[in-house]
Amino acid sequence: MGRLVLKGVSRKFNGYLAVSDVNLEVADGEFVCLLGPSGCGKTTLLRMAAGLDAPTEGELFLDDKKIEGVNKEVGFVFQEYVLFPWRTAKGNIEFGPEMKGVQKDERERISQHYIDLVGLKGFENHYPHELSGGMKQRVGIARAYANTPKLLLMDEPFGALDAQTRNLMQGELLRIWEKEHISALFVTHSVDEAVYLADRVVVLSAGPGAVKEIFDVNIPRPRVRTSPEANALRNEILKCLGAEIQRAAGSEREIHR
Amino acid sequence: MNNISKTLIVVIVTALFAGCIEQQKTPDQPINLVKMSGQDMIQRLGTGEIAGFIGWEPYPAIAITKGYGKPLFYSADIWKGHPCCVVAYDYHWYNNTRNADDILNRMALVQLKSVEYINNAKESGSPDHADLINYSMAFGGMTNSSAAELSLKDVQFVYSPNIPGTETFISKIMDFKIFDSNKWNQSGYKNASDYANHLITNRYVDWAVKNRENNLSSIALKETVTIRYGYLLNDIHELPFYVGWQKGWFRAVGINITMAPGTPFENGAFEMQKGFKTNSVDIGSLGIPPVIIHRINSNDFSVDDARVGVISGMNNEGSIIVVAGNITSLADLKGKTVGYPGPGTIQHVLFLMAADNAGLKVSY
Amino acid sequence: MKNNTERKGLVINILSLISFVILWHILVLLAREQIFNIPFMKMKDLPTPLETWYALVGSMFTHTYGPGFTYGIFDHIKASLVRVVQGGVLAFIIGVPVGIGIGYSRLIHNILNPIIEIVRNMPPMAWIPLAIFILVTGGSIFIVFIGVVFPIILNTIYGVRSTDARIIDAARTLGASEAQIVAKVLIPSAFPSIIAGLRIGFGVGWMAIVAAEMVIQSPVGLGYFIWNMGDLGRYAEMVAGMIVIGVVGYIMNISILLVQKRFVKWVD
Repeated sequence: MGRLVLKGVSRKFNGYLAVSDVNLEVADGEFVCLLGPSGCGKTTLLRMAAGLDAPTEGELFLDDKKIEGVNKEVGFVFQEYVLFPWRTAKGNIEFGPEMKGVQKDERERISQHYIDLVGLKGFENHYPHELSGGMKQRVGIARAYANTPKLLLMDEPFGALDAQTRNLMQGELLRIWEKEHISALFVTHSVDEAVYLADRVVVLSAGPGAVKEIFDVNIPRPRVRTSPEANALRNEILKCLGAEIQRAAGSEREIHR
Repeated sequence: MNNISKTLIVVIVTALFAGCIEQQKTPDQPINLVKMSGQDMIQRLGTGEIAGFIGWEPYPAIAITKGYGKPLFYSADIWKGHPCCVVAYDYHWYNNTRNADDILNRMALVQLKSVEYINNAKESGSPDHADLINYSMAFGGMTNSSAAELSLKDVQFVYSPNIPGTETFISKIMDFKIFDSNKWNQSGYKNASDYANHLITNRYVDWAVKNRENNLSSIALKETVTIRYGYLLNDIHELPFYVGWQKGWFRAVGINITMAPGTPFENGAFEMQKGFKTNSVDIGSLGIPPVIIHRINSNDFSVDDARVGVISGMNNEGSIIVVAGNITSLADLKGKTVGYPGPGTIQHVLFLMAADNAGLKVSY
Repeated sequence: MKNNTERKGLVINILSLISFVILWHILVLLAREQIFNIPFMKMKDLPTPLETWYALVGSMFTHTYGPGFTYGIFDHIKASLVRVVQGGVLAFIIGVPVGIGIGYSRLIHNILNPIIEIVRNMPPMAWIPLAIFILVTGGSIFIVFIGVVFPIILNTIYGVRSTDARIIDAARTLGASEAQIVAKVLIPSAFPSIIAGLRIGFGVGWMAIVAAEMVIQSPVGLGYFIWNMGDLGRYAEMVAGMIVIGVVGYIMNISILLVQKRFVKWVD
């Protein structure tokens, strides 16, 4: 289970239309990437899916249940990790179960499982400030997973990492996702990342954010980043996105004039 | 935060509170002297915050009249005829004033006249009695004439300085280790008697006695001088000064009295340190113990800035230990708080002497 | 390398202290010999460092002279510290919940803020006359409470308000209820700030207690001690008492810093 449906979702901020009439579906177990220029409302869409924000028009459903109020069935992974700095890696991972009132022994078992899964063995008792960016995001992912969500929402989770770590973490994410298979909605502005990770890539247009085009990625995993199919798809998406970026930049020029 | 740190916090807090409780137990249960103003003494005795106080008149009289307390000891019970307030002059002023001796002669004379006036007027049949009660109420800050009557009863107004009594005070202060031993050595006085004789002179009172029959204006100074005078707040002991001032007798002998900065002082220690030591008081009245203590302790012997000389007495006796209704002896005050005007005041020394007689300890 | 700079720093610290003491000694001597005096000051009345030292040693412990019983410096330190701790703990117990309430709820903020904004601008010393008349006992503890409670409230509010909004979002998506957000997110997140408030508060409280003890008198306490010694003209003891006040305040500050380091391991 974990089917996310967006029906005619719009979001206005003080009269400014940030998201306009988005219709989208993330099938159960599907990995969807949202791609678009900055300011196209990607994060707003994620926040609405998590119930942290509400649409001005339209509705969102998770497994046919309308999302109203904070959606506790999603796991949110943030770009800047947003860990609880006063808790150790283990403490962070146990946060969700703890809130649900899961007993201590059971929590231990859950956190141990995810610590092993994300490769944090030996770092359980480290505080976030003692961990590297990649390690912190492993904690972030494990924390989201430990809450047994139906849907994983990831807001540019590797955006703050250096290129090498980012590639490594993409591989790690896929490895984890293949083991614990749940639907994922992943925001990025890296075409390369989208093509490497996603089943489908949704390109959004800017100002207001709306679905421009959807690309199916029919390349079997494990994918090779430089394979001809990947290159071709990347070019196609880049072309689609390029126009969007130009448009966004153009409107920016207009504003600055 | 883990459980260990939580436990630690609890332990620390508990330990601190335990410390607070332990604090309440003091060894030997001394009587605790706590400094406060006269108004505070009256009020706090009324609310039961303190078990008693030792103060100068009119505070005991006011507290007794209001029914807040009763006298436990008159200071005469502690020491019959003990000296109390005196009139003193500043050496700095003396050395810089050409006719200082003439002025001091006349100060002593006005003191003599005022004391004679008060001692006559104290008799309830005297025609001046009503005036005296009014003076007492005005100077003592009283609104009740029966308090004023009461306050005058136990004060002996005098003009002669009491040298043997002063010697006794000095030796008591030495016994109680109130002198800074370093300063005492610097002072160079051999003993209590030596110090007392350096502190007090009878010559001005002798002159006053010789001239007591003279008309004041006939012996007035040729030129009027201005004296910055210091005195204590609401102290009935210093009533002779106030009477002389109000009657215009100082003016009559050519002395223009102005209130020195800081006057009226809260206690004698302040008058010594803020008044005489800073040369802002030329002549003033205050208890003899602050004079004795601060001419040693506060003095800078290189310039002798806290040096004062005593020219006449003001009063003997006149302080009372006033206690709450349930206190019947000094021993009942053990572990309790008693108000006093401050360390080094006459009331301080008297209370120590009373406790010494009763074999009690006093913390201050 | 680091060790070396640290050692150098320590040497400079010590040299600076020694020079200060020597300068103090020279200034007093010069004034006493009437060679030089700082204008508008009576340096000659100051005890020399050595006299102060002897006075400190002499008044360290309880003395009994005849009927007189005088408390030692340690009794005074203990009495003042106990008052500060009592007032401080009371301020902590009241200040932290109030601060969390204001930081968390707009409504509580709107209700309490006007009162707090006015009252916190009244210095603790301004409360002394009132405390004398209103309170039957514990006046000096109350003054400390006033001094400590506002830094704690303000720092708690700051700590709660500066909690990263995304951290709260993260907790929400992880299933935290509002009560859990307060208990498991806002309080731990504000904890370093609360401790900082406690540290500032205890500094203010320490100054306030000394001032309060000068007016709201009791038989023991450092403020009382220096005032008493001043009254008796024992300036060396008075200055020794002042130095003790400074040193104890410093140690208190350091101790809270250590406690903070111990309990807040998660800050760089």
